[in-house]
Amino acid sequence: MIHLMIFLPLLGSLLLLATPKRWREEVAGFVAALTLGLGLLIWRGGGAELFSVNWVPALGVTYSVALDGVSLTLALVTAFMSFIAVLYAARRVENPGTMLSLVLAMETGLLGIFAARDLVLFYVFFEDALLPALLMLAIYGKPNRMRALVKFAAYTLFGSLLMLLSIIGVKYYGGSPTFALADLVQYPVRGASQTWLYLGFLAAMAVKLPLWPLHAWLPDFHEQNHDSGVPDVMGTLYKVGGYGLFQFALPLFPDASLELRPILMGLAAFTALYAAWIAFRQTDWKRLLAYAGLSHMGFVALGVFSLNETATIGAMYLLAFQNVYTGALFLAVGMLQERVGSVHTRVGGVMTQAGALGGMTLALWFASIAVPGLAGFVGEFSVLLGAYQVQPWLTFVAGLSTIAAAAYALTAFQTTFWQGRPLGGVRVADLRHTEWLVLGLPLAVALFFGVYSAPALNLIQPAVRGVLAALGGS
Amino acid sequence: MLTVPEVHLAPMLPILIVLAGALASTVLGFYLPRRALTIINLVLLVLSGVSMGTLWNSGATAFGGSLQADNAAILLGLTILIGSAMTLLVSLDTAYRARVSFPEFDAMLMYAITGTLLIAFSGDLITLLIGLEVMSLSGYVLATLQESRPAEESGLKYFLLGAAGSAILIYGIAFVYGATGSLNYAEIAARTAGLTPGNLGVLVGGALLMLAGFAFKVALAPFHQWTPDVYSGAPTSVSLFLSTVVKVAAFAGMLRVFGGALQNAPGWAAVLQILIAVTLIVGNAAALFQTNFKRMLAYSAVAHTGFLALTLLGTPGVGGAALAYYLLIYTLMTAAALAIVAALQRSERGMEISDLRGLYYRHPAYAVALAACLASLAGLPPFAGFFGKYLAFQAALQSGYVWLSVLAALASVAALVYYLRPAMLMFMPDRTPAREYAHGERTATTFTVALGIIGVTVLGILPNLWYGWVANPAIWGTLAGR
Repeated sequence: MIHLMIFLPLLGSLLLLATPKRWREEVAGFVAALTLGLGLLIWRGGGAELFSVNWVPALGVTYSVALDGVSLTLALVTAFMSFIAVLYAARRVENPGTMLSLVLAMETGLLGIFAARDLVLFYVFFEDALLPALLMLAIYGKPNRMRALVKFAAYTLFGSLLMLLSIIGVKYYGGSPTFALADLVQYPVRGASQTWLYLGFLAAMAVKLPLWPLHAWLPDFHEQNHDSGVPDVMGTLYKVGGYGLFQFALPLFPDASLELRPILMGLAAFTALYAAWIAFRQTDWKRLLAYAGLSHMGFVALGVFSLNETATIGAMYLLAFQNVYTGALFLAVGMLQERVGSVHTRVGGVMTQAGALGGMTLALWFASIAVPGLAGFVGEFSVLLGAYQVQPWLTFVAGLSTIAAAAYALTAFQTTFWQGRPLGGVRVADLRHTEWLVLGLPLAVALFFGVYSAPALNLIQPAVRGVLAALGGS
Repeated sequence: MLTVPEVHLAPMLPILIVLAGALASTVLGFYLPRRALTIINLVLLVLSGVSMGTLWNSGATAFGGSLQADNAAILLGLTILIGSAMTLLVSLDTAYRARVSFPEFDAMLMYAITGTLLIAFSGDLITLLIGLEVMSLSGYVLATLQESRPAEESGLKYFLLGAAGSAILIYGIAFVYGATGSLNYAEIAARTAGLTPGNLGVLVGGALLMLAGFAFKVALAPFHQWTPDVYSGAPTSVSLFLSTVVKVAAFAGMLRVFGGALQNAPGWAAVLQILIAVTLIVGNAAALFQTNFKRMLAYSAVAHTGFLALTLLGTPGVGGAALAYYLLIYTLMTAAALAIVAALQRSERGMEISDLRGLYYRHPAYAVALAACLASLAGLPPFAGFFGKYLAFQAALQSGYVWLSVLAALASVAALVYYLRPAMLMFMPDRTPAREYAHGERTATTFTVALGIIGVTVLGILPNLWYGWVANPAIWGTLAGR
């Protein structure tokens, strides 16, 4: 079942190419829903056990996949948000065949990233998710996309090629027979080489997280993407850095993680505050959201780097649900753009005519700035709580960004949705048809997991405990 | 009394079949149209491949070990044949347009292939040299065959620099002979162990001269200057041949010499790593600034030389396998990319990168195929270029060349940028009129492109299909003969 879940979207994506134009949206929606359904079935069955076969025996590369704990949570969120993205793209994008195809192809890459338990396989999926993202930007992007594209790809490849060297190094210096995570953990690398390999691995993850100073691709990527926000949703899902660090870096480089902890936590805290500060000055909704996401990712990084149980659980929780509400916010921006023809934050007075859109957006922003009762709060609070026990001052600095978040979010919301309606502004329609679902479902999820976090925590907690216990506790 | 030397025909058969094609093209050219000759030659290439298949695991030799059909030779020979067949297929469609459609083109091509096979099958330095010269001389003619200024200029440049390279190589061979008293790879390898210090100095000098000579042939910087001009000045189907088959053969020779005969000789590896570093930097940096797509591919070929040469630094077991895998992949992806250029270009100067804008909306299949080629060249999975690059990194890293591997990784980032720009431009909407040759899509070219793309994709998803064959270290342990 797990293989079906991973590769079904890709099959669907290829199938779309052969589907007649008028049925494409239905087929894509069906495939995305089916993938989500499969994910829920796997979850009901208590996760998918490790499945491992040799892929390239001569190189020791295996095809090892599993979905449990953190990875299952993230896979479910991915499947859910891909479904939402398909739902919205089908209605919003003109002639959406190619876009839907790319969304589904990317979903396979993302699910693969979360399921992979072999470093080379992880790398392969890691890069595979990149291709559709690039194509989406190339085909549907705005005029300045070439710069954004090159920046995005160059940063990503810079990181991932260093990671590839680290991957080779981990196997070679550790003497493991295969690249499967289970084998690599058995044959750890010790000493200074572990630190160097960790740095190589970190390079890729820091780009993806992203972590200052490797974040510069992010705002351009989001700004230049299609107005509908669909590629942005997939882009938010692509922030797998925190997961990669948790799933691979911590078990493989325990000593190095401990050694570099203060520096990395400092970088993470700085990223959170710095991004929140920059976000405050943005006048483009997409850039604003990009920097807000960057700030949240600083939190995720803070949690993971702290090697503290509470904080790591919080980080994973935040990572999972940040995708939901930030993704939905990107779609809300897409809806705003459709109505007023701009993504500027000083539109003014939209609320008077599109009350539901404004209300939903505000509620999603509340989730994003960690208002209690919504999913963002559980994650951010746990991160702060846990990280405080390790580095109180750095955590204090990072904590300031929650205040900044309220400031930038509410200011931008106020100038767009309230304030005076400019004279001669077009009449703005409210939510229609599937748009209710597109914003409503993520909001419901954010609300549900903000109030009742047990289902997600039950998945995340044992996995985090397992990883940290292998480190010898913190 | 005259004694007849022992001659085994079997190991020579693959080469003789190709040579027969060359002779047939020379003679039958008076009676048959070129298209028929090309098809005959294609059939002969297949036959040659079949005869290689029958030699698998036989370890047959001829002329007392001067010619050896060991598994390494067969694997490299098959790669050469695949590249050659792709060249012939493309020339079926484009030779007429490039004004090189006469039997001599086929004859020269087949002579060149004979030379390349001789290099792959060589068991001593003389055979290697003969193969190299046959290949190079035919190559000079091929580059000049088209009646145009750029072709003449590129041919002359190729000839002058190539001849200098050959001279240096011969000088190196003389040195190695002087130091070890033998031309046979196995003998040389055996005698490098117990040399007097004086002889050792001569050997190191010989190895370095040979390295410089080979560096000319494979286009390692700073001996690469002829490449961009020749590759972009020659007709595209010739560029395809020069940048794939000739390079494969030259690397096969390097593998024989440095992985086999001079495996234990000191000095050359240290110099080679500097050459590789310079190649990676120069090739990738120069490719970044090209505006002509064909010229960019030429620089990309230089850059790939750097990656390919990384494998020579590995132990023969790891490095040989990596090289053999990478060479096939490199042949497939470069040939497919150049085949598309050959089909779509309006003139033999190739296309400007900006001309590619919106190609996806005019020739969707070619655009997707070219994007796949570029992704593979950049080393993105699931295309096989990824595993090629991976194996090259692995070979260098496991031999302790950490800084060089890191440099190679950084160079790949620059590579990604220049591969990405045309790849992405193709998918951007465009309202200006098409800038391609209107009747570009022809069956044989399309078949070649499909062959390349299917190969690159399948070998990327299931690398074991080819790597399983080449991975056996025993194949590469006996590079220098038994």
